[in-house]
Amino acid sequence: MTSKDTPKDTPKDTSKNIRFPFPGLFKGLGLTGKYLFKKPATVMYPDEKEIPVPRSRGVIALDTEACTVCMVCSRACPDWCIYIEGHKEEQQPEEPGGKVKVRAELDRFDIDYGLCMYCGICVDVCPFDALFWSPEYEYSEHEVVDLLHDKDRLTDWLGTVPDPPPLEPS
Amino acid sequence: MTDRDIAMRHRSEVAVSVELETPGMTLNIGPQHPSTHGVLRLIANVDGERIISVQPVIGYMHRGYEKLSEVRTYVQITTLVNRIDWVAGFASEVPYIVAVERLMGVEPPERAQWIRLILSELARIASHLVFMSSYPLELGAITPLFHALRDRERVLELIEGVTGGRFHPNFNRVGGVKPAAGAGKQQRGVSQDIPAGWFAQTQSTMERIFGMCDDLDTLVVGNELFKARTVGVGIIPADRAIEYGLSGPNLRASGVPYDLRKVEPHLPYPEVEFNVISAESGDCHDRYVVRLNEIREAAKIVLQAVDKIPSGPLVAKVPRLIKVPKGQTYVRGENPKGEFGYYIISEGGQKPYRMKIRSTSFSNLSILPWILEGQLIPDLVAVMGSLDFVLGDVDR
Repeated sequence: MTSKDTPKDTPKDTSKNIRFPFPGLFKGLGLTGKYLFKKPATVMYPDEKEIPVPRSRGVIALDTEACTVCMVCSRACPDWCIYIEGHKEEQQPEEPGGKVKVRAELDRFDIDYGLCMYCGICVDVCPFDALFWSPEYEYSEHEVVDLLHDKDRLTDWLGTVPDPPPLEPS
Repeated sequence: MTDRDIAMRHRSEVAVSVELETPGMTLNIGPQHPSTHGVLRLIANVDGERIISVQPVIGYMHRGYEKLSEVRTYVQITTLVNRIDWVAGFASEVPYIVAVERLMGVEPPERAQWIRLILSELARIASHLVFMSSYPLELGAITPLFHALRDRERVLELIEGVTGGRFHPNFNRVGGVKPAAGAGKQQRGVSQDIPAGWFAQTQSTMERIFGMCDDLDTLVVGNELFKARTVGVGIIPADRAIEYGLSGPNLRASGVPYDLRKVEPHLPYPEVEFNVISAESGDCHDRYVVRLNEIREAAKIVLQAVDKIPSGPLVAKVPRLIKVPKGQTYVRGENPKGEFGYYIISEGGQKPYRMKIRSTSFSNLSILPWILEGQLIPDLVAVMGSLDFVLGDVDR
């Protein structure tokens, strides 16, 4: 297959298509005039803010009480941006002779939002209701290292988790 | 062809043209040029205003998704595939997930299929609206951008309302769509079905889309200056388009009414009525008009689907751990830009052995050297923009 066998068009002189006065110019101006006195669609960001939808994936909130350091989220993450460390703690039985309970304690739970793809797989797979999506989005930083949110910061987001929206009746 | 080869070629060509006393010039366009929709580099050999030959250099945005897929599970790959063509993230998820479902022998429930259909068409509208705004901008008209992007924002809001993501919905799951917010006791009960009021919002947005299409008709399609820049420019004859593997609106603008939604539907497209939009001459103007009319058809499909959507579960019964049996399949779908396909080879287990992505823009771009040969430099931007490629889709 060569590019020579089909005859190609030679660029035509299209300047004859234009006549003056262009009706298109006035049509366009008319349309602009129609929208001139309508309410502007722009949201002037720092002064007024858009309210994100409840399902919006803004930031991940962590419930440290519910977390059992099972590492499921950290393993399911497609770009491995969740760092978890924990240790086992022995709980002495309340009555003598009882069983010694072993409980996992969370030492470190970091999400690196510089890497996070906001896919939500970690929230999807968490079997203990420890991770939630919050629609908050205002956490940009001057330094990329500050995007690593630690345990305390992730817990702070918990207050911003909205109630799930009601569903369409079907 | 490496840069060194290109340099050698140019040196030899310059030597020839010195003999003929008509020195040509090498014009390097890009990689950072606003009309290339990303990072495409064109090495053009020009003789005055006339382009003698053009050599596209791609790969600046290669992220290696095919290789990355080999070390990720089927669940994780969904997050990668919606980043290939980012202006229509949802549309590129669907063929992938259908391919995995076919390998596993899973049939998604009706409601999930209809939700996929609605969101795919919304993604089509969003993608075409980017073209509606950027193409006149490249030709020097800035007003259509505001009209198109204003309503695209509303469409993205609709997608976000259901999926939670504007660009990267990641809403498809093997066997349906995302059923619940999480896997815990409390989160498992939080269904991710369509939220209340969403259908009404969709209907009003689609009405606005029809109005906006009429506005664009007034502003752009009938405009003399736009016609002067696009009518008869960059004509792709039908046989050429087929030879170069063009698909989608670019192919249909050349007079081939080929639409995978009609030919090979894997979503309930046979149950909705829509026309396959095609044009005849295959010039830049036709490619614009075809896309504009496709927005209208997509909005009609969404309105019909909102009325027809059945109730039912969101996901079929699938094992918790997605394991795909040994086999291979190729599934293609009608992305906003054309045929988008995934060829998956599974050796069994949680990860694919190999995944080949047939991305639309890569094939659509391949016609550039042929179509730009002999064109004028001002038409280069007009022709390139009319093909509507996204460099993330070209380089994968």
